[in-house]
Amino acid sequence: MDKIKLKEIKCISYERAEIKKGYTDKSLRVNLDSNEITISPIEERIKNKFIGGKGYDLWLMWNAVKASTRWNDPENTICISSGPLGGTPGYPGGGKSIVTSISPLTGAPIDSNVGGYFGPYKKFSGFDVIQVDGKAKKDAIIFIDGIENKIKILEASDLPTDSYELSDVLTRHFDEDKPVNVSVVTAGPGAVHTNFGCLNFSWWDAGRKRVRYKQAGRGGIGTVFADKKVKAIVARFGAISMKSNNPADLDALKLVTKAHSKEIRELDPKQNRMSLVGTTHLVPIMNDHDCLPVHNFKFGSHPESRVIGEEVYEHIFDKGFDGCWKGCTVACSHGVKDFSPFTGPYKGKKVFVDGPEYETVAGCGSSLGIFDAHTIIEINFYCDAYGMDTISVGTSLAFVMECFENKLITLDHTGGMDLSFGNRFNALEIIHQMAGGEGFGAIVGKGIRQMKQIFAKDFGADAAFMQDIGMESKGLEFSEYMTKESLAQQGGYGLALKGPQHDEAWLIFLDMVHNFMPTFEDKAEALHWFPMFRTWFGLCGLCKLPWNDIIPEDNKNTSEPAKVAKHLGWYADLFSAVTGRKSSPEDLISMSEAVYNFQRIFNLKMGFGTREHDTLPYRAVGPVTVEEYESRQERYDEQLKEKYSLDIGDMDSKEKVAVLRQKREEQYELLKDAVYERRGWNNNGIPTIETVKRLGIDFPEVLEVLKKNGVE
Amino acid sequence: MIEVDEKQMPWSKDMTMASLLATLENVEFCSVVRLNGRLVSSPKFAETIIPDNSKIQLLPMVSGG
Repeated sequence: MDKIKLKEIKCISYERAEIKKGYTDKSLRVNLDSNEITISPIEERIKNKFIGGKGYDLWLMWNAVKASTRWNDPENTICISSGPLGGTPGYPGGGKSIVTSISPLTGAPIDSNVGGYFGPYKKFSGFDVIQVDGKAKKDAIIFIDGIENKIKILEASDLPTDSYELSDVLTRHFDEDKPVNVSVVTAGPGAVHTNFGCLNFSWWDAGRKRVRYKQAGRGGIGTVFADKKVKAIVARFGAISMKSNNPADLDALKLVTKAHSKEIRELDPKQNRMSLVGTTHLVPIMNDHDCLPVHNFKFGSHPESRVIGEEVYEHIFDKGFDGCWKGCTVACSHGVKDFSPFTGPYKGKKVFVDGPEYETVAGCGSSLGIFDAHTIIEINFYCDAYGMDTISVGTSLAFVMECFENKLITLDHTGGMDLSFGNRFNALEIIHQMAGGEGFGAIVGKGIRQMKQIFAKDFGADAAFMQDIGMESKGLEFSEYMTKESLAQQGGYGLALKGPQHDEAWLIFLDMVHNFMPTFEDKAEALHWFPMFRTWFGLCGLCKLPWNDIIPEDNKNTSEPAKVAKHLGWYADLFSAVTGRKSSPEDLISMSEAVYNFQRIFNLKMGFGTREHDTLPYRAVGPVTVEEYESRQERYDEQLKEKYSLDIGDMDSKEKVAVLRQKREEQYELLKDAVYERRGWNNNGIPTIETVKRLGIDFPEVLEVLKKNGVE
Repeated sequence: MIEVDEKQMPWSKDMTMASLLATLENVEFCSVVRLNGRLVSSPKFAETIIPDNSKIQLLPMVSGG
């Protein structure tokens, strides 16, 4: 396209803060109502307690929003942070950004962890965190220029609407000679018209000479971004080295970086081969263990799943370096070159598709009954280009398809489209409609929670059945694991602060396959430790994959293999080397525990965060229908007889479904009790005064929220 | 002979993945293997016959997500 024109609305020059031990100790606030640009210091006490990343985001948000704030109020805030360890070149997964806002889907704080170079470029430009609030009158671009030391608000017009083209155009515009210096955050039309808009975070792929991107997918932060009329946030910075973070101990940093990087380079080819197939190896594995969502999580496997797993994608992915961070040896961000969509605005053109990953394959493939690798790639491409979360899109569409097959909705409601499982053309058509806010797609784009209300109220659909099969909790659509046979993973989803996303606790194998946690106490301990440690990655600007997706060869000989002790030690060394704050693996857990509990209380502040909000649709717990029960009858019969000592001789399948449901729902409530106790929460799921004092988050405003909820 | 995690081991006729794992130590976390490049999961270990000269990698699935 021709040179673009941007009108400067505001520009400030600033003195770039020197990075000290991974921190700039500065935050940047851009208010789009007033076009004010404010640079503020970050207090030492906040730094010590909230560490960085998601911790900083949540603290700034807490102070920006009221209990009555809704996602589309001007005071709702989008925060993007990296963290003290973010931006370490060569450290595997060392370039993450963490994005937060009040979610259009849940009404509570949502967080999303994303690759690309934006977080480090922003930090090295002088800011640990950027906070964007207010609403622009016209489409705006926020430009953080860490080379010229300027912050600009620019008015944008006549720019491409989709992320695919927009990311490319803006990257070339802001540094035509060195596009590697630019990282762009964009949304797209799907973010305007749905509640699950995502953000695309870019980086320049020097080998392919093109822009690539990763997604901050969960919870509709892209929708907030679009509502604020932010067209893009751009960061520009120059060369980065191991010294850029000005680490406390450069030699120690080099040592731990080299060790972790080398191990991954040597062991990944022998283990999951993520540098070749990304996370698509999980497709056949989940399928074989009956954990792959099929037909809206009704079933856990399908004979055709082999054609959408690693064996196919390994041959489709373009060969080359696919790290979403500089020098990352996991390098799992694969893509498809010269893909030619058969629908939509890019029909017949050749495009590069970033993905798909496991979640997209499962959510937009098997869960929809679509066992076609190319259709999944096309759905992936359009979701990214339109700025929509592939997980929420897939899980929402799966719900719609099951409603359609059960005649809860009909051709009259869908605009004449047959939305039976497997109908790939109409699935794509719905996605195009969602992005345009048109037709039945406009309803689907509201997400499952609102769809359930609309289908019941306007179409007379069975509300109780939809409650059972609508795979959402707290308003967020489920990510893509079938949890019926893993009570711990049910807790991993149901007790997750932001809703059912697996980044807090992925316990399905440890629990279901390895039987590593047979008692409630074991499960509760796991549902304490794993969410805490996983939270730590989001505080520091790191990716979790290098921790336990590629593991040391002698790990199996350690006392707790699931924790990967050698890597815990490396992460403690990394934190110590960069920040100078000498830390042990136990210290990392303590850091997370404070922020984790603070987020739980933030949920409480916003009207959530209690026991009633930790509920699950029964589909996540057990078989809703006779069809599901009978598909695994031997398993369920045995459980009723052996585990619950029931005489089922005279029961028909419908009665068995009912009695199994009663038992499983009781188990889930008992799990809640055990987890709340382990986390230091009361029986209603609220942190106690003792807990917040122990963690040092007993700020007056925190105690006030607790008091309002009967905890004092 | 077969190769298991780069170590040579004797092969026997009718050897299955389950029978092989039963002879190895510290394989509690091994629910997936790569048999001659192809993933095989634990529900299929008993029915998976290991051919002579196979190359096997044990994948400790503590991870995911």
